[in-house]
Amino acid sequence: MENLHQNKSFWSKYVFSTDHKTIGTQYMIMGMIMAGVGGYLAYVFRYNLAFPGKSIPFYGMLGPQAYNAFVTIHGMIMVFWVGMPVLLSALGNYLIPIMIGSDDMAFPTVNMLSFWIFAVSALVLIASFFVPGGAFGGGWTMYPPFSAQGYVNHNPNFFTALFSGTSLLILAVALELVAMLMGGINFLVTTINKRAKGMTPWRIPVIIWFINIAAVIFMFSVGPLVAGAFMLLFDNVLGTGFYDPHRGGDPMLWEHLFWFFGHPEVYVLLLPSLGVLAEIVPVFSRKPLFAYKTVIYLALLSAFLSVLVWAHHQFVAGIDPRMATFFSIGTILISIPFAGIFLSYMATLWGGSIRMKLPMLWAIGFIGLFLVGGLTGLFLGSNTFDIYAHDTYFVVAHFHYTLFPDIFFGFFAAFYYWFPKFTGKELNAKLGKWHFWLTFIFFNGVFFLLFFNGLAGQHRRINDYSSFSLISREPYQTFEQIATVCAIGLMLSQFIFLYNFITSFRKGKKAVKNPWESTTLEWQSDSPPPHGNFNPYPEVHRGAYDYSLPEAKEDFTPQNVPNVN
Amino acid sequence: MTIFPENVSTYGQEIDNLFWLILVFAAIAFFISLFVLLYPLIKYSSKNGKRAEYITGEKRKHYKWITYALVALLLSDFVILYVEHDTWGNIESVPAISKNDVHVGIIARQWNWIFVYPGPDGVLGTRDDVVIDSMNSSLHVPINANVIFELRSTDVIHSFFLANARLKQDALPGRTVMRWFNITKPGKYDISCTQICGILHSKMRNYVLAETPEQYKHFTDSLYNANKVVTSSK
Amino acid sequence: METQQNHLTIPIIKIPQGRLGMWVLIAGELVIFGGLICFYLLNRIRYPHWGDMAAHTNTFIGALNTVVLLVSSYTVVRAHQAALKMDVAKVRLWLSCTLLGGILFLVDKSIEYAHEISEGFTFTSPKLVAAGDHVGSLFWSYYYIMTGLHGAHVLAGMTVMLIILIQTRKGKNMHRVELAGMYWHMVDLIWIFLFPLLYIAK
Repeated sequence: MENLHQNKSFWSKYVFSTDHKTIGTQYMIMGMIMAGVGGYLAYVFRYNLAFPGKSIPFYGMLGPQAYNAFVTIHGMIMVFWVGMPVLLSALGNYLIPIMIGSDDMAFPTVNMLSFWIFAVSALVLIASFFVPGGAFGGGWTMYPPFSAQGYVNHNPNFFTALFSGTSLLILAVALELVAMLMGGINFLVTTINKRAKGMTPWRIPVIIWFINIAAVIFMFSVGPLVAGAFMLLFDNVLGTGFYDPHRGGDPMLWEHLFWFFGHPEVYVLLLPSLGVLAEIVPVFSRKPLFAYKTVIYLALLSAFLSVLVWAHHQFVAGIDPRMATFFSIGTILISIPFAGIFLSYMATLWGGSIRMKLPMLWAIGFIGLFLVGGLTGLFLGSNTFDIYAHDTYFVVAHFHYTLFPDIFFGFFAAFYYWFPKFTGKELNAKLGKWHFWLTFIFFNGVFFLLFFNGLAGQHRRINDYSSFSLISREPYQTFEQIATVCAIGLMLSQFIFLYNFITSFRKGKKAVKNPWESTTLEWQSDSPPPHGNFNPYPEVHRGAYDYSLPEAKEDFTPQNVPNVN
Repeated sequence: MTIFPENVSTYGQEIDNLFWLILVFAAIAFFISLFVLLYPLIKYSSKNGKRAEYITGEKRKHYKWITYALVALLLSDFVILYVEHDTWGNIESVPAISKNDVHVGIIARQWNWIFVYPGPDGVLGTRDDVVIDSMNSSLHVPINANVIFELRSTDVIHSFFLANARLKQDALPGRTVMRWFNITKPGKYDISCTQICGILHSKMRNYVLAETPEQYKHFTDSLYNANKVVTSSK
Repeated sequence: METQQNHLTIPIIKIPQGRLGMWVLIAGELVIFGGLICFYLLNRIRYPHWGDMAAHTNTFIGALNTVVLLVSSYTVVRAHQAALKMDVAKVRLWLSCTLLGGILFLVDKSIEYAHEISEGFTFTSPKLVAAGDHVGSLFWSYYYIMTGLHGAHVLAGMTVMLIILIQTRKGKNMHRVELAGMYWHMVDLIWIFLFPLLYIAK
């Protein structure tokens, strides 16, 4: 039925397309553009930190208000406009239908609408820089009453308050959440309903499981925040007092709401890239994923625990000390399922026949870096040490060591792995290796030393440390400068990727159908897959990870092969 | 170069010790994991030409290794929790009030710290309280005494951070939080705000001046004398 | 190609696509309202005089609206029954009844809002704030945001039903009657929670 689209005009084929592959690509491109914006913001404020008071090349002087706004929007963009669209939406849209052997999503039109709402939300966010007063500068957590002062402090005029940086930011986030909710509904319905014949639950590849678990976590944690965001917006533009302590409201309510969503959100971002690893590690080890069912049960367990840990962001916020102990226990408990998942990936390596191709390199880099991020989480999960480390650079370094590998290494692993499938072309492996090693080294250069800055008591979101005798001394300023130089190097190395992407896309070598000799369904389709994905539609006869079956001649047995011999 | 700033409070050492304890656990876990991750890349490289083994990980003899690792992780987690629990209770609960204690009020405002001294009667919230609201005035406290403070905020959320005492506490408008510290060494220590609070967030700095009891007595006496007018209106 | 498509249109789990999607959507919506109800209850526990303001809500209109919504839920079930039998005339009759119920609900609500606003109880209630009754003002903020969001859902449900009413004229898209019905039941269910919270418990 959808095949009519084949002959449609440019607009309906590439812009307002309902094809899941096109929408996935749109999300990916949009996420990459936003990553560029977020990276530019990071460059500006990192330069300011290393050389305070100096004019910044390609920007100029950075005042404290702009600094605060840049830090805030950098965080917002990287989580909501890069992590979410690239990991959840792009991978989900592209991979779910094709990996379960289907033609498209369950609701293609809703899918298209979801992307365009997302695009509008990105525009609203960018627009917030250009309203009087500039973008919101109170941290990505948007704690009221600071974020609820549009009405009280500035101008009790509806339109002035509505077109302020704060209101536009809240609006942009709300729109983005709606877009992701629509996507999430689509993912769940597609996976439940549109699987190919024989694709029973225990034959679904891990990444599809994980994206769906992420969608469920997202749906169940975001609801209260959507309501809460509207309340914050009304506080801003209409002057209600939901979060105003002088009017009977409670700013702590927002903290709980925000983190009730905000912490599960971390797992929403983490699970899809863990899924990417679960696809890549077995393929390049030529070995079945270690304890497939256990991995999925662990992810379900972590989904359950994820809504029980949020207040560990509020250990010093004045919550009840006994409650903090409860959340501290929850936090260390949730390390168990994730440690289990990572251990299963490592166990997959043992006894394999490992091919160190590019996607595998990114996957191993991911695990290595995430190890640092995860283990530094032990310090912060302990409520007592968190009294000291909270809101210092230790936290900054910690979550960059988790989210950077998660978003970027996860994405690049997926990109290098599926690029031949997306485009039918091969990437330049040599440039890819340069890209990996430069990214890996520069990333460590940016964030490793910042752990020490944090332990020295350097706190976050300060544009100028000269007031603080304790931390404006050596070697911490040198560490900041090293971090900044590495950050610039990190951003420049992404141009290698961009160059590789564009040249390989235009005149790369033609890729074969299944270059990595993988078992999952998407590789059994053509490269690039045609509209409708399969012809004929596959029937599934086995699990997703039948590598090196003892009775098989080849060391991989695709899911749609009925008999081994 | 030391990793932490100098510790001057009674409980700061416990937090530093906790850091080293967790670091030991984390380092052991890190190096074992790194070995488990990197060793097979060489040992089981496809260049050796050996076909991979078919291990699904569903047999007990295979998955027991993961179980051991997870149990070890869980145990070390609980060791950390057990060790830290007393410190947490110690810092977060205000000690029983004794005669040597000093009560002060700390009020955060965009963008400075306001200090409230209890006046000659030593009790906060009475009419002889002296409020000092100036960028140039630090919080004077005596050493070796429990300083119990009431933390408030007048506008947005701030956070009181005394790095040398390893103490941090958010100041929320509409709430009063009681916390305490006990500084053992005279000196001048940074107070900073660690919750982003607006344009001059990075200038929201003041000091704690820890003095000997005699110096402190001298300071409060002169402060209360200068504010006699307020006192007499009692 | 056609035969291949056919094999795909038979899902493994025999839940029609639309129904499954609607269930997921309802789950998401319930969490939003669940959040709001939780905040409301937290405030109620926190402030002993919270219920004082609930005395000013019009219990009669609230009860009337409850009955209206319950009846319209019944009519939409009849519409669904008729849709299963492909009885176009009956479907259109019962759907129209449900739409009428929705309109009645909104009219009632508007009368109620108008009355409350004339007494000075608005979204921000400047009168109460001036009198220093911040808790009262907060109650009305919650009242308006909860009933307002619910009203928006009523309106959305009615829009959907209107579209389906037009589509069913030629007997098309009869399965969508059930989806609209499911959504309408959710709207009804949420009201069942809002009514005692905002009107009865004083």
